Amino acid sequence: MVKLDPHGEELLRQFRELRPTLEQLEKDAYSLMHDALRKQGIYVTAIEHRVKTEKSLAGKLELKGAKYKTIDDVTDLVGIRVITFYTDEVDKVAVIAKNLFDIDWKESVDKRKLHQLDSFGYNSLHYICRLKEGGPRFELQMRTALQHVWSTIEHDTGYKGDVKIPREYVRQFNRLAGMMELIDDEFSRLRLAITDYRRQTLALVKDGRLDDVLLSRDSFRDYLELQPFDRLNKRIASVNQAEIYPVSLMPYLRVLESFGMETLGDVQRFIDDNSDDAYHLALSWLAITDLDILSSSTALQYLCLVHVLKQNGGQKGLNDFYDTINGENDSNYMLASMMLKQAETLPFMQKTKDED
Amino acid sequence: MATWFAYLEGSLDTSTAPETEKAMRPLYECEGKDIIFDCTGLTYISSAGLRIFLDVLKTAEGKGEHVYIKNVTDAVRTIFTITGFSNIFEFK
Repeated sequence: MVKLDPHGEELLRQFRELRPTLEQLEKDAYSLMHDALRKQGIYVTAIEHRVKTEKSLAGKLELKGAKYKTIDDVTDLVGIRVITFYTDEVDKVAVIAKNLFDIDWKESVDKRKLHQLDSFGYNSLHYICRLKEGGPRFELQMRTALQHVWSTIEHDTGYKGDVKIPREYVRQFNRLAGMMELIDDEFSRLRLAITDYRRQTLALVKDGRLDDVLLSRDSFRDYLELQPFDRLNKRIASVNQAEIYPVSLMPYLRVLESFGMETLGDVQRFIDDNSDDAYHLALSWLAITDLDILSSSTALQYLCLVHVLKQNGGQKGLNDFYDTINGENDSNYMLASMMLKQAETLPFMQKTKDED
Repeated sequence: MATWFAYLEGSLDTSTAPETEKAMRPLYECEGKDIIFDCTGLTYISSAGLRIFLDVLKTAEGKGEHVYIKNVTDAVRTIFTITGFSNIFEFK
């Protein structure tokens, strides 16, 4: 049970009176921060916000009520906490906060810089802010997800409580804090490296230096932006004046990898070498129908079928292809047989036989 | 997870597509339900039929639900394949 002196009681009365204003402030500050982050394209783990509870305030006043002349001196009656994924984003959020709010620099503190050289801690950046139009101050905390985990665990274990913690446990805490800091930095560095790699890959793809680009999920996605199958799709669609229905081509990456392709150059050669035969195989099926809708993976599918057959994959190769793209299924054998039978009527299969 | 079944039979072509599309409309409200097209009796599917399947799939996927196609004949499966739609549906 909290016992307050008359000054503490007076501060609590002022708090109750101020509460509707604080609730409005909480909503306004949250909305401003939320909208600004979205506008800047910064995706965060969470934005927490709250008005201090009366119980929590009473506890604080019991301990250090004399420190505050009026309720306005308590700066964390409203709290906003932005939890980011990466360390560099904490600084970005801080810049956004500087533009959105008036910052009370005397009260604000970067706890990340408070630690001595021989100690570790893992804390966040705290700003004491005020809306540009005035009103009570509020506290804005900015931290990474790992800093948040650290703070929560630190709080939970009572590390900073009244009981003195033995030196060996303090040392263990410090080791963990150091490790968390290292992990946070490494995640940021890794993200930067991946972003750089993506940028370089995109540049190589755009320059047509496809042999320099390893086939991967990212590079294949970038390559698809050049619409490499578009021309063949349109050629096939022209058979029945068909609509091309967009679907993802990413599932075919596994197929291309299973063909042993290592670079985007390999994929480009696969298109160049097989397009005519893929068109004729598609034509042999579609010309006898009035089907006027095709998926955007049609060209790629026929390219794969032709590639398998030219590599002498036969029935088994076609079956493996359908297993990869459709998932293992009883119908795949039937599809493979049917495709093989149809392809055997086409010139490229005769040529393949002759070469053998 | 609850499941809705749609039983198809005969030929799903330009002449039967409008009626089929109308009958399929309740499937658009499929929150919390998977959809299974039982095609045991379906003998043929034209572009108009494929478009109905694709519309249902698009709506269901938008709601995080699955669409399965069951007991499909070889003739119908072939049409899904030669048009490149074989791998976007889950065939059972």
